[in-house]
Amino acid sequence: MASAAILHPKRRPPPFRTVGRSVLLTLPIALWALLMFTPTLRSPGLNHHIGAAAAVLFMTLLFFLMMRTGKTFRWRRYFFVALGFLFPVGFIASLIHLRGSMSISLEHMLGGDTPFCHMVIPMILIPAALTRTVIFPGSILPTATNPHSVAVMIGLWLALTLVLGKAWCSYACFFGGIEEGFAALPKHIRIRKIDPRLRLVPWALLIAVAVLSAALFEPVYCMWLCPFKAVTEFPAVTGVKTAIQMGIFVALFVGLVVVLPFLTKKRTQCGFFCPFGAFQSLFNKINLFEIRFDRTKCVDCTLCQTACPTMALSAESIREGKTLLNCMKCGACVDSCKKHAAVWHLKGTPVAVKPERARLLFLYGAWALATMLGGSIIANSLATILGFLPIR
Amino acid sequence: MHKRLLAVLAYVGAALSLIVAACTPFVLMGAFSEAVARTGVHVDAVYSGGTIARTVMRDGYQIDVYRPVQPHALQNVDPFVQIAFRPAASLPRRFNTELDLDGDGRPDVRVSLVMPRNPRARPSGEVVALSEAYRSFRMPESEVGFSELIAQSNGAVLVRIPVNQPSAGR
Repeated sequence: MASAAILHPKRRPPPFRTVGRSVLLTLPIALWALLMFTPTLRSPGLNHHIGAAAAVLFMTLLFFLMMRTGKTFRWRRYFFVALGFLFPVGFIASLIHLRGSMSISLEHMLGGDTPFCHMVIPMILIPAALTRTVIFPGSILPTATNPHSVAVMIGLWLALTLVLGKAWCSYACFFGGIEEGFAALPKHIRIRKIDPRLRLVPWALLIAVAVLSAALFEPVYCMWLCPFKAVTEFPAVTGVKTAIQMGIFVALFVGLVVVLPFLTKKRTQCGFFCPFGAFQSLFNKINLFEIRFDRTKCVDCTLCQTACPTMALSAESIREGKTLLNCMKCGACVDSCKKHAAVWHLKGTPVAVKPERARLLFLYGAWALATMLGGSIIANSLATILGFLPIR
Repeated sequence: MHKRLLAVLAYVGAALSLIVAACTPFVLMGAFSEAVARTGVHVDAVYSGGTIARTVMRDGYQIDVYRPVQPHALQNVDPFVQIAFRPAASLPRRFNTELDLDGDGRPDVRVSLVMPRNPRARPSGEVVALSEAYRSFRMPESEVGFSELIAQSNGAVLVRIPVNQPSAGR
């Protein structure tokens, strides 16, 4: 054995699991994906059939590869980047179908036609608690022109947050994949030194937008700071104010979602800007799953710190065997650790004892919800793209 | 013993979270959405126009007069009253009408509207205040804002008239 290893020093490590065991473990997810997409597969429309079938295969195949290789981040990233880049396609197409434009006019705001997105949630909580008023120009219940109503989106967020906690940011958020895609492009990191104090910016922004939104009774972040307005919907440019708003959206998108992720290989918008991400970190406290470090195996090589896309690890936290509160359980640190010191962990159980069991328990819930939400977005967007193609 | 109990509880919790995940698309998401709707939360009146105080029937259309909307302390919007003419499709091409906004039996404003041929375009028109409590304006000359506008939305023509005194109306 030893001589074979010397003869083939770069030989691939053996697979984590056999094909048979991986197939067996993937079976529940395959059935779940079929269940999720059965209504679409039964409804008329070839494009939707193709989109749904592709989503079922894609989500099932990625889960199989997670089981087979034991890697999480590597395969999750394909799903997440696909979600990030396909979401705007389907969303913009639906906006143009429903109201003929990506821009939202005063008339659409008056009609409650603005789709509600999860980023608004931290801003509406204080006014809703104090005055039962939702400071967003949407509708409480779904309407023909706005299926993404406040109640539906909050219901979805609540259910997913119970299972995922902060992992929402790596399995459910339909924006984060865009920057993860740009961060994956370069081979080498061009900017290595990032001030760790930048991790506090999302918290500062969270407090600022929550307080300002409650005081001004308007969703401040959506109106002035959301980078993703550049690729989803934005206020119709009718004057200087709206032109400045649009300029800010585009500048933040280019800077935080395209350029900085490319230079740093980090999710800079998520890690150093997003107030919703900071808000979601609070739910890590009640979520049962986490990443821990087996100090008996850790050699402090800092590979995990380099791999972490949101700087959720510090030398101190690793010494304590923990991640920081903003860990989104993407699995990058676990995948990168050559000593298998970074492990999935179920709170209340001993660290590094049966970490694969903890990973499986987490992944089944996370991937089921990712298939339900992200998978259906991918399927719809693929159907939309097929609709644009001049083929029959 | 304590550690063992903790571990058992952790696995029970993990199993519960799997059940929650499995129930999400079928039961939980809908139940949570209904619970949110049942809390009685409503969209801010600056966007929705508030609640209807009374309805005036006219030949082929109706006019809904809303309750005055008082913005919150630091909200960057003037107080206003919304009027909705609906259905927009049944409105004459040009018309004017006098309306009692505060329910005291005397007309408070005269609204003149010119409907565009394109149903998506903004109507033009004029609001002339007949009472000191309201402000006159003319569209498209005035700057459109949440408290001063003439617009078409959801099959109605909405007119928002700025209120001079917070005490105006009921």
